Amino acid sequence: MNTNLKISNVTKIYPGCVANDNVSLEFNSGKIYALLGENGAGKSTLVKILSGIIIPDEGKIYLNENNLNLNSPSDAKKNDIGMVFQHFNLFETLSVFENLIIDSDEQRESLREKIDLIMKKYNFPIDLDIPVLNLSAGQKQKVEIIRCLIRNPKVLIMDEPTSVLTEQETSELFLSLKKFSEEGILIIYITHKLKEVMQLCDEVAVMRRGKLVSVSEIKNENIESLANKMVGQNLKTIKKKKAKTSSDQLIKITNLNFTSEDPFETNLMDINFSVNRGECLGIAGISGNGQSELFQVLSGEIISEKKSIEFNNNYIGDLNPQERREYLMAFSPEDRLEQAAIPQMKIFENVALNNFKSSNFFNNGLINENKIKEHSKKIISDFNVNTDNIELKSQFLSGGNLQKLIIGRELITSPDLLICFNPTWGLDVGAINYIHETLIKINEQNKSIILISTDTDELLKLSDKISVIHKGKLSKIMNAEVVTSEKLGILMGGAN
Amino acid sequence: MIIDINFVGLIIASIMASAVPLILASCGELITERSGVLNLGVEGMMIIGAISGFALMTVTGSLIVAVFGAMLAGVLISTIFAFLTQTLITNHVATGLALTIFGIGISAMIGKNFVGIPGKEFPVLFESLKDTIPLISPILFGHSIVFYFAFALPFMTNYFLKKTKIGLIVRAVGDSPESASNQGINVRLVRYACILYGGAMSGLAGAYLSMIYTPQWIENMTGGRGWIALALVVFSTWNPIKILIGAMIFGGLTIIQFHMQAIGVRIPVQFLTALPYIVTIIVLVVISRDSRKIRLSTPSSLGKSFHKDN
Repeated sequence: MNTNLKISNVTKIYPGCVANDNVSLEFNSGKIYALLGENGAGKSTLVKILSGIIIPDEGKIYLNENNLNLNSPSDAKKNDIGMVFQHFNLFETLSVFENLIIDSDEQRESLREKIDLIMKKYNFPIDLDIPVLNLSAGQKQKVEIIRCLIRNPKVLIMDEPTSVLTEQETSELFLSLKKFSEEGILIIYITHKLKEVMQLCDEVAVMRRGKLVSVSEIKNENIESLANKMVGQNLKTIKKKKAKTSSDQLIKITNLNFTSEDPFETNLMDINFSVNRGECLGIAGISGNGQSELFQVLSGEIISEKKSIEFNNNYIGDLNPQERREYLMAFSPEDRLEQAAIPQMKIFENVALNNFKSSNFFNNGLINENKIKEHSKKIISDFNVNTDNIELKSQFLSGGNLQKLIIGRELITSPDLLICFNPTWGLDVGAINYIHETLIKINEQNKSIILISTDTDELLKLSDKISVIHKGKLSKIMNAEVVTSEKLGILMGGAN
Repeated sequence: MIIDINFVGLIIASIMASAVPLILASCGELITERSGVLNLGVEGMMIIGAISGFALMTVTGSLIVAVFGAMLAGVLISTIFAFLTQTLITNHVATGLALTIFGIGISAMIGKNFVGIPGKEFPVLFESLKDTIPLISPILFGHSIVFYFAFALPFMTNYFLKKTKIGLIVRAVGDSPESASNQGINVRLVRYACILYGGAMSGLAGAYLSMIYTPQWIENMTGGRGWIALALVVFSTWNPIKILIGAMIFGGLTIIQFHMQAIGVRIPVQFLTALPYIVTIIVLVVISRDSRKIRLSTPSSLGKSFHKDN
């Protein structure tokens, strides 16, 4: 049976931003459609409209010529539209089976049989009786997919499904999606990753700033043409020059362990590595494998044994972040608005938060506002932050500008080592390029970087050495020139 | 010294009786909190239940009207809380505190005319069986219907949360209201229902105090039991069976310290009165100290407002 889904003249306006500007699209079953765009292009808003979470200001949705009234997520379900969310919509403390039965009208036994059939058919082996928080990201996604499949959907929407998956899990997912498509389910695949579009999809619609830019068949496109459509300008590609390897060791981690009381955290086991001057060590891994714990241990948010971290010939394992900064370390945490900056405070106040001893930001306990403001202006101009108002509250900066401000704040002390955790997470291509250039420059000045990232392409581009973290353990450290993303993917999945 | 075995039975029965209001209010609050709502107004809802039950009993003369009227009064006052926190998205803590202050004040006002009026006798069940078996009979028989209901309630609550679909939905809403909403569950409706249920149970707990336990109206007669009920919920790590244990320890120590004072044990009175509070908390902390289980049973969204925006 054929399914036809039509979006007609959909508009959704938020204060200060047009999320969807008169978007019209048509989809037919049997094909896999890509909806491509940068963060903030309006893809997520559009699919949330399709799944009933957001109600559009204007426009209509038709499924097989019937006008749908999607006022709530249950309306979408009733009309056989299923959605797998980017941020999983699962109940962490409930068991897998409880998560699945909660929106089903079936009896326990018959539902269990149905789930068993689905799991066998698509090769999704998952223990139904353990709490969801014990599952890996890939397994959680499978639970979400099963939840949709139980309802025999006509349309399946996948919102950025691969952001938490390994290379292998991604190819498994693609196989399943192709199978679903052959079985007549209409698949809409939302992403900003061009490679995946080329690999998986038949047709691609590109969105930019809320507007639909183009609809075309994949066979008429290539990665460059799609990238230019997505960004709206020609992108220059940056490449790292091979740095001359120094043998001057800067930081050495020896037998570092961390055991957490919290079941949501990962324990770190026997971490050993060292970084030389001018080097970038990349740490790859799927999120939730101990990266945030490792970052906290390295930055001093979690104190460890004194001798486990040796920096510039000093043992600093028991120092807090402020004291570590005095030794010329700098940190850029993952969550810009929660950990790196205080959203309600002004730009210059956030700059003052990183008060190192030589800064003279404070005299006898009083704030030296002029000094801080002068310093903030310098950061803004040096690091290309797109504002001239240092009195602006940080929450009003875009992600890219905020990240530039934070990196600028950290670099102004000209630290010997910068530790970043997902520095380009959620940024648009322009800002990503800028951050990458900045990081490359740091290495060129013979300073070092520890780059913890879930983005494999970023790691391969910037690192000299790469290691993979899996369940709190580091793999052996590899030369980045000989590592492939496939090899990283295998290690990220836990194999040797 | 010969200890009368029936006397021991009576002491145990009196301990259980003093635990009844705590069990009722805690089990109600447990459901409310499992849905992610922190209602600090338990004390206020209890005292409203107490005065409503007593007043209705005196005015209408009907015990059934009085008991259900007290529950309804609990529902009504918790509706104010629900409207403020769920519809107007006010802060749970501040609203709950206001509710308690409001409840204590208004109950004192209504209660002025009922001070000194004697209560009615509340019928008990299985009275004739009271003398059949030594020790056991006084514990099991000759209590009010509310008493039996209270001791069944933790088990029913446990069954409801673990085995029924609606219980699952309540837990899901408390775990992640955003996900629940995206799954098409009406978060606000579920939370309203849980708040109102908590109100009904607190009302019943209050009515038990003023109509059965000490059948009379005294201003501020709940005497902090609402706060103890709240503490029981937290220290039991949202487990109804542990609430039962905690309420029994608290009731037991309260009764025993009375007897100790009466016998004239040489321990300062202030220490004896404080004992139930300290021991109950220590015991509950010890039996629930598994941090993994705490994480799994704590409603993740507890006390956080949920606002669905379009």
